[in-house]
Amino acid sequence: MLQCVFLLSDSGEVMVEKQMTAHRVDRAICGWFWEYVLAHAAGDPSKVVVSPTHYLFQVYRHGVTFLACTQVEMPPLMAIEILDEMMDNGFPLTTEPNILKEMIAQPNIVSKMLNVVTGKSSAIGNKLPDATASFVHWRTTVVKDASNEAYVSIVEELDACVNREGVLVKCEACGDIVVNSSLPGVPELTLSFANPTIINDVRFHPCVRFRPWESSQILSFVPPDGQFKLMSYRVKKLKTTPIYVKPQLSSDLGNCRVNVMVGIRNDPGKPIDSITVQFQLPPLIASADLTANHGTVDILADQTCLWTIGHIPKDKAPSLSGNLRLEEGLAHLHVFPTFQVKFRIMGVALSGLQIDRLEVKNTPSAPYKGFRAQTQAGRYEVRS
Amino acid sequence: MFGLQASSAAASWVVGRMGTDAHLYDDPEDASIPALLDSRFDADRIDALKRLLALIAQGVDVAHLFPQVVKNVAAQSLEVKKLVYLYLLHYAEKRQNEALLSINIFQKDLSDINPLVRAWALRTMAGIRLHVVAPLVLVAVKKCARDPSAYVRKCAAYALCKLFDLLPEESTTLEEIVDVLFSDNSPGVVGAAAVAFKSVCPNCLALISKHFRRLCETLPDIEEWYQITLIEILLRYVIARHGLVKDSVMFASNLSLVAQGGVTVDTMSYTQPTSVGGISGTRPNIMLLRHYIEEHPGCFDREDDKFSSPSVTTSTNDDVAILLKCTSPLLWSQNSGVVLAAASVHWIMAPVEEVKRIVGPILFTLRSSPDAAYVVLGDILVFAKTAPLLFAPYDEDFFICSSDPYQTRALKLEILTTIASESSIPAIFEEFEDYIKDPNRRFVADTVAAIALCAQKLPSISSTCLEGLLSLVFYESSITNSVHLDGEDIVLVQAILSIKAIVKIDAASHEKVIIRLVRRLDKIKQPAARSLIIWIFGEYSSVGNLIPKIIPPVLKYLAWSFAAEVLETKLQILNASAKVIIHSAEEHLEEFKRIMAYITDLAACDLNYDVRDRARFISNLLPCGKTSLNENDSTCQSHSQDIRKELADHIFGGKIPTTSHSDSNYRIYLPGSLSQVVLHAAPGYAPLPKPQSMELIYHTIKLTRDTANSSESNNSNAESESSYESGSVYDSESEGGGLSDKDATGSSQYPNDDGHNLHHRQDNQEAPLVHMYDDNVDQGQTGRNVEDNLSSLISTDLTELMSKSALESWLDEAPALPAVQESMQKSIARVSFTNRSFERKPKLHTLLDPSNTSGLSVIYAFSAEISPISRLLVCIDLFVENNTTDQLTDIIIKSEEASISKDEMDQTSEGSASIPTLAPVEEIRSLAPQQTVKMILQVHFHHHLLPLKLSVLCNGKRHPAKLHPDIAYFVRPLPMDLNAFLCKENQLRGVFEYARR
Repeated sequence: MLQCVFLLSDSGEVMVEKQMTAHRVDRAICGWFWEYVLAHAAGDPSKVVVSPTHYLFQVYRHGVTFLACTQVEMPPLMAIEILDEMMDNGFPLTTEPNILKEMIAQPNIVSKMLNVVTGKSSAIGNKLPDATASFVHWRTTVVKDASNEAYVSIVEELDACVNREGVLVKCEACGDIVVNSSLPGVPELTLSFANPTIINDVRFHPCVRFRPWESSQILSFVPPDGQFKLMSYRVKKLKTTPIYVKPQLSSDLGNCRVNVMVGIRNDPGKPIDSITVQFQLPPLIASADLTANHGTVDILADQTCLWTIGHIPKDKAPSLSGNLRLEEGLAHLHVFPTFQVKFRIMGVALSGLQIDRLEVKNTPSAPYKGFRAQTQAGRYEVRS
Repeated sequence: MFGLQASSAAASWVVGRMGTDAHLYDDPEDASIPALLDSRFDADRIDALKRLLALIAQGVDVAHLFPQVVKNVAAQSLEVKKLVYLYLLHYAEKRQNEALLSINIFQKDLSDINPLVRAWALRTMAGIRLHVVAPLVLVAVKKCARDPSAYVRKCAAYALCKLFDLLPEESTTLEEIVDVLFSDNSPGVVGAAAVAFKSVCPNCLALISKHFRRLCETLPDIEEWYQITLIEILLRYVIARHGLVKDSVMFASNLSLVAQGGVTVDTMSYTQPTSVGGISGTRPNIMLLRHYIEEHPGCFDREDDKFSSPSVTTSTNDDVAILLKCTSPLLWSQNSGVVLAAASVHWIMAPVEEVKRIVGPILFTLRSSPDAAYVVLGDILVFAKTAPLLFAPYDEDFFICSSDPYQTRALKLEILTTIASESSIPAIFEEFEDYIKDPNRRFVADTVAAIALCAQKLPSISSTCLEGLLSLVFYESSITNSVHLDGEDIVLVQAILSIKAIVKIDAASHEKVIIRLVRRLDKIKQPAARSLIIWIFGEYSSVGNLIPKIIPPVLKYLAWSFAAEVLETKLQILNASAKVIIHSAEEHLEEFKRIMAYITDLAACDLNYDVRDRARFISNLLPCGKTSLNENDSTCQSHSQDIRKELADHIFGGKIPTTSHSDSNYRIYLPGSLSQVVLHAAPGYAPLPKPQSMELIYHTIKLTRDTANSSESNNSNAESESSYESGSVYDSESEGGGLSDKDATGSSQYPNDDGHNLHHRQDNQEAPLVHMYDDNVDQGQTGRNVEDNLSSLISTDLTELMSKSALESWLDEAPALPAVQESMQKSIARVSFTNRSFERKPKLHTLLDPSNTSGLSVIYAFSAEISPISRLLVCIDLFVENNTTDQLTDIIIKSEEASISKDEMDQTSEGSASIPTLAPVEEIRSLAPQQTVKMILQVHFHHHLLPLKLSVLCNGKRHPAKLHPDIAYFVRPLPMDLNAFLCKENQLRGVFEYARR
C-alpha cells in the first residue's frame, strides 16, 4: 500500500500532500529526495529510490514530480501505473475515467463561465455514478443524448532504428485503435480486420471479450461512452520506412562537416507532413553553423538542433549542411549524435492493418460509422 | 512577435484559471476563514473549507479551527460534507475528543438513502482511526458488507483494512466479513475483498478454497488494480494447496540441481535444453525454487542443498489448469502491472513448453511507459538468466534507444549479454559497435564491459572482440590525450579491463594482442590505463613465444619512464619487473637484474613511502637485483635464497583463480515485487508458501498471522498481549498461565533485571501512576552532577548534529560517546508509567517455532537497553525455551552472513557493510525440559531494514531463521537542553510547521 503521495514542483517545493494511512510520512522526505536527486542522479534518478526510511516511487511529467512513499512490499508497477494515471485524472478514487468524470466534474469552458456568472462553484457530483452499480463498470447504464455515431481510428507510431551503416536494424509499428462511440443503450459492437495475422502483440481495453479474439481474431465489446483506446497492437519486422534520413559527419582538424539528406523512400500514397529532424549537438562544440535549403533550423537551449521541414517539396531534396567547430585541442569528433525523426501521414496505416467491418447490434436505429487512419513517427532514430 | 506570444500565454493562463479553485492556492488567507465558516450560505462555507484544505496542502497547521469545522459535518450540502470529511481525516488523530463529536452524524449518515453518503460516512469513520470508535466501525462495516449498493460494499472492504490496524484482536470477525465479501456477486466488491484479505489475513489461504473456482472465473471482470492482488492470492493458494507443477520451469531448475550430483555445472547446462524440450537452457546454478519459496526447515535441508520432499502436482490438476486458463487472457491487459502478475503465474506454474506465451506480452509492456519499462526489465533479467533461450529470438526488443534513461540502458545491456547466442551475436555486436559512439560515456564503458562478458560466454568470438577492443583502445587513447576532461578516460580503462578479462581465458593464443597493447604504451598517458597494461605485461611475461622476446626493450622503457610516473604506475612497474625476473630464462637474467637494480634504486629514493617500501620489499625478496654484500656465508645465503625464491613465487607467481560469473549471490525475489527492484527483501515481502503446506498453515494460522502483524504498528497493549499468548500456544499445559510462568522464570534467573524494561509483572496494580526515580541509586553509581554532564554532552554532540539536515540527525549514527558520558547516560532520571492502562509490554516475535524445530522455541523482543559494546548495536532479548521432554544441548546462535569482531564495532563506515551483523554470543550448553533461558543479542543493523539471517544450531542440527528489525529501536534519545531543543524544533519542517518562502 502507498502511505503518502506528494506532488513536487520543478524546484522541489511540495505542492500537494496526501496522507493515506495512519503512519504519517514526514515532509522531510521530500527534502531528502530532492537532495538525493541533485547530488547523485544528476536529474535522472531511478524510478524506485531507497531512502533511509521509505521506498519512493517517482514519476516525472510536465515539470511535476509525483512521489509516492511506502515502507512495505507492494507491486512497483501498481504504484508507477497509478501515479501515471494521475497525470490525466487527478486523484484516483476509482481509476475508470468515465466514472471519475461523473463524480468530479471537469472544468470546461461552459461550467467555468457559469461559475463566474453565478458565483457558485461545485465540482462534486451529488449522485453516485450509475456505473458503479452497473456490471460493466466502464459504461454508465443510461447514456442520454447519444448522437448515434461510432468512429474508429487507427493511430500508428512507427518505431525504427537505422544504424551507422545505414542498415535498418529494427522497424515496427505500434498502433492504437481509438474508438469514439456515442451510442444509446447497451450496444454490442463487433470489429473485424481484413488481415489480423500480421499483428504480433495485442493489449485490450477491459471491455473486449477475450474468447472471440482467441478463436477468430474478432473484437467483440460493449463500448464505454465517449473516446477510449480499444486496443493497442504491434506489428514487427516491417521492411521499409516512408522517408530516409542520411546524416554524414566527417571531422578533420577541429572542424566537423555535417550533411543531412532527407527524402521519400517509399511513397505511402498520401502526403507526409510535419517532418522534423532533431539531434543533440555533441559535447565539446565551440560553435555551430548549420543551414538548410528547405525549412528552418533552430538550436534550442539544451544544445538540441531542431530542423523543421514540414512537407518535402517536389522539386528539390531537402538537405541540412554546415560546420561544427570543435573545441580547442580536439581534432576529431569522438561521439556521434543520434537523429530523431518525426513525421505524420494522414489517411494511412503503415503497418498495412485494415479494418474489415464494424457491426453494431442492439441499437434502435442504424448508427453512423466512420473510419480514419493516421501514422506518425514514434521512436524513429537514425544513428550517425 | 514575442510580446504577442507572451500576452496570449498570459491570457490563456487567466482563462485556464477562471472559475477554478486555483486562486485559493495563491493566498488562502486573504479572507477571514472563521467568519466564512460560520456563514449561513453553503457557498461561503465551501470557500472557507477549500481555503483550509489549500493551507493543509501547503503544510500550515490549521487544527485550531477544528471545532468550527466539525460543526459543519451536519450540513445538508454534499459538497460541504465531503470537504469537512477531508479536513476531519487529516486532523482526527490530533484532536480526538473533538472528533468524537462527529460520530453521531456518521451514524445517521450510514442509514442515509443516498449510497454515496453512506459510503463517505463509512470511509471517514474508519479513516479517523480512533480506538474508542473502532467497535462502532466494526458494527457499521458488518452492516455495510450487506448493503444493497455495490459501491458501499466496496468501501466496507476498504474499511476492513483500516479497522485491522485498530482491532487486530477481532481478526476472526474481520475474516468472516472478508468471507462474506468474497462471495459477493459484484466483481468490484470481490476485488476490494481481495485487498482486504491481503491486509487482514494474508496467510489464511484455507478461506479461499471454497471460492477458488468462482474467483478465477470473475478474474477477467474485476478492475485491473484488484486483478494484481487477486492473482497473487490465487497463486499462493494453489502453491499451498497443490504444490509445484512437475514440468514447470521452476521445478525443472530445481530438479536439475538434484540430478546433477557430481556432474559439473558446464555439462549440465549443455544437456539441459534437450531434456526440457529445447526452450529453456535452465542454468542450474540459479535455484529459483529456493529463492521464491519460503524457507522451512525440513523442506530444504540446507546442509546438502537438496530438495528432500518434493510436493508436486501436474499441470493437469483442475485448480492449476483453471488458474492458468483464467490468467492467460490477462496477458493482453492494457495495464502492465496485470500483465506482469499474470506472466509470473505462468512462469511459476505453467509447463515448460507453454512458458513461451508470456514472452510476447511482457516485451510489449516495454513500450508502455519508460517508468514501467524499468521495472519490467528487472524481472525480465531474472527470467532471462534462468532461461536465456526463451528470450534469445527477441534480441532486437532490447536494443537501446537514445531516449532510454541510463538505468534502463544498463538493464537492457545486461539482458543482451545474457541472451546472446552463437546465432544472435553478430547482430548484437553490430549494435554494440554503434553504442560505442554514444555521447553518454558511462554507458559506453558499460557496453565495453558487456563485450567482454559476451566473449567470455562465447569463446569463438573472442578474437573478433579483441580486435575491436584494441582499435577502441588506440582510438580512445588518441582522443583523451588531446582533451582532458573528468571521467573521459573511463572508456579507455574499461576497454583495457575487458581485454584483460578476455585474455585471461587463454593467454597463450592472444599473445599478439598483448604485444600490440604493450607497444602502445608510450601513446597512452592515463595513469590507470598505463598501470593496467603494465600489469598485463608482467602477468603474461612468460606466456607464449613472442612475448619473452619483447621483454628487454619494454623493461628498459619502463625503467626509463619510471621517474615520471605516478604512484599507481610506479608500483605496477615494480611488480611487473619482479614478475619478469621470476619467470625469465637464464640468458637474459643478468640484464634484467641490472634493470631491476636500477628501478629499485630509483624507487628507494622516491618521495612516496609506499614506493620506497615496495622497493625495499622486492629487493629483499629478490636479492638478485642488488649486488650481494655478504658473499662469504654462501651456504646460509643459498638456503635463505631458496626460501625467498619460493616466497616470491607465491607472491608474484600466484595465479588468480578463474572466478566464473557466479549467480550464487544474486538475489532473486518474486517477479513483480518491490523487493526485486530494490534487490533486498522489503518489509512485508512474503515468499511463496511452502508447497502443499495447506494443512500446516491452517493449524498455525493464528501464530503466523500474529507474527505478520508484528511489523504493523505500535498498538495498544491488547495486541501485544495476544501476540504473547500466541507465542506460548505450544506451551500446552499452561495456556493461560503461561504469562506468569514465564515471568517467574525470567525474573528469578535475572534478578538484576529491575523491571523498567520488561513490564509484564503481575504485581503492578498497586504501583503509582507515574514512577520517577534516579537510576544512580539503583545502579549504585557515583555519578557526577547530572547537569554538568548534560551541558558537556550538549556542547560536544549538538554542534556536530546541528550541521546535519533534520531527517538525518534523528536517524544517523549517534556519535560514539566517550566513556564518561556512557556512565552519565545511565544516571538520567527515568520516568516510567506503570498504570495498567498505560502499560507497554515488549512486543514478542517468534524466531523459531517449536513445530518446525523439534521442540526448540525461540522468541525475541527488542529492548531499549543500550549495548555495553557500542551505541550502534541494537539489543535484542532472546528467550530460548525447550518444549520437549528431553535435554537440548549445544545451542549456538550465529549469523549466516558475517559477524563483527570487536574492533569493527565502532566503525561508522556505511559502505563496508550493509548487511546486519551480529556480535558474537555465548552458546547455551544445555537446556532442561521446559526451561527458558534469556540471552541478549547485539546486532548492528546499519539502519537498514534487512532482516538478520541467523542459524540456530541445536543438537547438531541447523535451523535457519530470520530476525526482522524494528525501525523504532534504531532511534536513540538525544539529550539536549530546552533552548537547544526549541532551536532544533524550529528548524524541523514537518507537516504542521512550515516556513513559507
